[in-house]
Amino acid sequence: MDSLLKLILLPLLAAGLSLLKLNPALSRGGVSLIFWSQFAYLIYLLEPVLLGKIKVLTLVPGIAADKIGALFALLTTLVVATAMTHACFFFQNESQAEPGSEEHVRIFYFSASLLLMAMTFVCFCDNLGYLWIAIEGTTLASAALVFHSRTKHSLEATWKYLIICSVGIAFALFGTILIFASSQQAVDAVGTLEISGLMAMAPKLNYSLLRLGFVFCLLGYGTKAGIFPLHSWLPDAHSEAPAPGSAMLSGGLLNCALLAIFRLSQIVLSAGHENLALKLPLVMGVLSVLAASLFLVRQSGIKRLWAYSSIENVGIILCAIGLNAPALFFLLALNHSLAKTAIFLLSGNIIQVCGSKQIHDIKGVLANSPVWAMMLAVSAFAVTGAPPFGAFVSEWGLLALCADKGYWWVVASLLMALALSFVVVSYHVSRCIWGTPAPTYKTLKQLPGAFFPALLIISTLLAGTTALTQKLVLLP
Amino acid sequence: MNLDLIELVSIAAALSAILMAGSTHLSMNIALYSLQTFLLSLATYSLAGLRAESHFIWVALAIVVLKALGIPLFLHWIMVKIGVNSDPGTTLAPPLAMHCCVLLMGLSYFLAQSLPSSSLEGHSWANATAAISLLLSGLILMLTRRIALSQIIGFLVIENGIYLFALTQTSGMPLVVEMGVLLDVLVGVMISGLLVFRIQRSFEHIDVTQLTELRD
Amino acid sequence: MKELDPNEIYRWLIFLPSLLILPALVLGLLRKTKARLQNRIGAPLFQLLFDLKKLSGKGETLSDAISWIFRSTAALNLSMLLLLSLVCPWLVFKPALGTSDLFYVMYVFAAIRFFTLLAALDSASPFAAFGASREATLSILVEPALMLSFAALAVNAKSSELSRVFEFAANSGVEASAIWAFAGMGILLSSLVELSRMPIDDPTTHLELTMVHEAMILEASGRTLALLEYGQALRMTILFGLVTQCFMHVFPAVIALSLGLKVLLSFLGILFIAISLGIFEVLSVKLRWRRNPDFIAYALTMGLLASLIAVGKGLLS
Repeated sequence: MDSLLKLILLPLLAAGLSLLKLNPALSRGGVSLIFWSQFAYLIYLLEPVLLGKIKVLTLVPGIAADKIGALFALLTTLVVATAMTHACFFFQNESQAEPGSEEHVRIFYFSASLLLMAMTFVCFCDNLGYLWIAIEGTTLASAALVFHSRTKHSLEATWKYLIICSVGIAFALFGTILIFASSQQAVDAVGTLEISGLMAMAPKLNYSLLRLGFVFCLLGYGTKAGIFPLHSWLPDAHSEAPAPGSAMLSGGLLNCALLAIFRLSQIVLSAGHENLALKLPLVMGVLSVLAASLFLVRQSGIKRLWAYSSIENVGIILCAIGLNAPALFFLLALNHSLAKTAIFLLSGNIIQVCGSKQIHDIKGVLANSPVWAMMLAVSAFAVTGAPPFGAFVSEWGLLALCADKGYWWVVASLLMALALSFVVVSYHVSRCIWGTPAPTYKTLKQLPGAFFPALLIISTLLAGTTALTQKLVLLP
Repeated sequence: MNLDLIELVSIAAALSAILMAGSTHLSMNIALYSLQTFLLSLATYSLAGLRAESHFIWVALAIVVLKALGIPLFLHWIMVKIGVNSDPGTTLAPPLAMHCCVLLMGLSYFLAQSLPSSSLEGHSWANATAAISLLLSGLILMLTRRIALSQIIGFLVIENGIYLFALTQTSGMPLVVEMGVLLDVLVGVMISGLLVFRIQRSFEHIDVTQLTELRD
Repeated sequence: MKELDPNEIYRWLIFLPSLLILPALVLGLLRKTKARLQNRIGAPLFQLLFDLKKLSGKGETLSDAISWIFRSTAALNLSMLLLLSLVCPWLVFKPALGTSDLFYVMYVFAAIRFFTLLAALDSASPFAAFGASREATLSILVEPALMLSFAALAVNAKSSELSRVFEFAANSGVEASAIWAFAGMGILLSSLVELSRMPIDDPTTHLELTMVHEAMILEASGRTLALLEYGQALRMTILFGLVTQCFMHVFPAVIALSLGLKVLLSFLGILFIAISLGIFEVLSVKLRWRRNPDFIAYALTMGLLASLIAVGKGLLS
């Protein structure tokens, strides 16, 4: 039990700290410090797994870290730590604009700590039941993030988010139970929910139940990941949450749902049903990419734009799951998370300057705040997968793999969608950057707001230009 | 082919869900939900004896206290506070929704037939039918209602259906998982209940079909 | 001519008086319950019989506009009801008169409605025509519910022959009981509509404009009215009797009933329904006209459930 506590002690501490009525700067700084130390601590804890010294680090039965889980845990913690450190800057400006919202910010920090805790669990779950509980926990914890601004719009977005995701997740629970039932129908088996146990006995699982369970889980966790027909909550939630919240939702939460899908597809794969385990995610991924790139065209809100771009990237990552390429899966998720976090944080700054989320209200950012404008342009390139960023390398790898396996239809659709989204995003971003700024625009100090996004962009640039990441994530 | 107690109880629960789809009174729906949950805990309790699994007794107790009493009282409190007591329904009128649910119960019978059988105590087509029918009725309830509270109730009915399925079609989820799910549901209901208050305060109604300001 | 079985003679001996007394008692009990619950003493239990006597002594006032349809309807309806009372198994001890079909019974009921409607239109009174239009609407709405309930019973017995449908099977399962219970509920709810009783129509208001059955017979007087009143009470009794029979068939799954108990139960059941209807009518309010389909929907749901279980049972066995 104490090894479990080890994992969540620091986030718990952060949650406690954020509720105390201290000097805002102090408690916010403290929370971000705790998150960074959690990141460092996770590296220390997971080092043997990451370096491949041991395959699985079991903390308690049902909670274990394998390599991909460890990598995702690190990525999630990194995203949360970055976003929350940036939040110090963000909320400082916010409270200048709208004083007296200290209480709301405290709740925001509190829920962010809980969210980090739940997401860490998602990465380490070796039990489908715990996985479900953790993912539903992320929904509940992040509802407060979306609700932060307490406006009518945020209320609507939170309600949709909570209801749609809860129902989706309910279906995932149904799927989980079906898989559990399938393990009980195997010959002389007691039934298990442990992922490793299920993989070990996979060929003996009852296929019809397993198939049904996988489809339900895919739909359920797919709702949480925002795949195409079930995505309706995602743009609302991402655009209504404050910028650090959107960054965590997009950079952390989506990965968790995708990781759950990956785990399930691995179970079905080891049961020997390749068609089911791979084709279904692949088709859903391609569909999401195509749909999202079309939706991108007619977006008017800058954060909704990035939200649809997230849906597109989720589709791409699903394709990686569908190709059974774990390394590529992580690489895509990594680059997407880094670039998307950066771009959400920057958009938050720009929205604070311009006082509006609408693209047609944002003009002349280059004249008003040149550093952010440059960064926005660069990170938009990084998000859309332009060379030389990491996203380009990983998407290139994905396309190459598709071509290798002969999925030319996937290659064609992905290329089309990626080209379209590149054009659309460039168009929207250029509309924001050029032009003359309106006189109502505020001036904010730029350098502190640009520090973390810049770091992230540099790291995704590094991921693209060096072969380091590929070596790091070479998974068995 | 006589039915045993568990099967009768679970079918009664499924019937209560069907009646919920037809009733426009929120207090009626809350009461029916409470009854339904109570029936499920009864089924859990009797399965505890049949399968000699003592942890089912604790689960049954937790369900009675938290889900059959706690949640309905909470929802009722919200209902009284907000002063909304009926839900006229959306496109599909409640009576028709009820007919849909009856037909879906028939459909669930066929779905239940297609599930592989096992020798577990309590595993039967009747229980599977009841569980799937509960799930589908909850879905109908969520789709055809316009008041936020009804949507919460619909979600809870879906959850009940899933619970009944887990109870009868498997040997029961491990206690930790069961309690974790229960906790999540409780917290979810609490949060959405608080949101309902907020919606009432900001919009002066809790009609979720009118929450359409955010769109592409 | 066939030798009469003494048993059969006894049956006739109980049956014929009950044909006259039971309707009066049912209506009387219903009204008495309502009156008592409303703190009134109320009319005597057999007020219907006194009314009939009084009405048959009165002369008739007939409109100039009416034709033979109106004049013959009361007699026609009553004869059809008497026919129904003979073929319909609404009492256990009803003398056996050959056999008949479930759907035949259902459509004789419909024919009674039809002639009542025609008579109402024929009387050329606008109130009666209002009532007729409502009655027609209701009958369209309630028909599926009644039909499904009967169909469930027919599927359960794998025959629509009345004597086989209402046979007390030795060890029918819980499913059969469920079918009987749901079908009984369906028929009960539909019969409230059929008889234009409380949640659909309040027969005791003084606003003919809103009523259904009472509005239709507004033009009748004297002997015609007597026949119509008695016919309505008999129709109520037969329908309640059918419902009682349905609920009695729920029991065999639990305990076997002896013949004496069955006879007793079929009497008591009808009276019990009358009393509970009285209580219900005091407690509830008349639905708005546009809410009526909601109420009928419950009858339909019961019918649907009954037929679903019946079909499922047929598939399983």
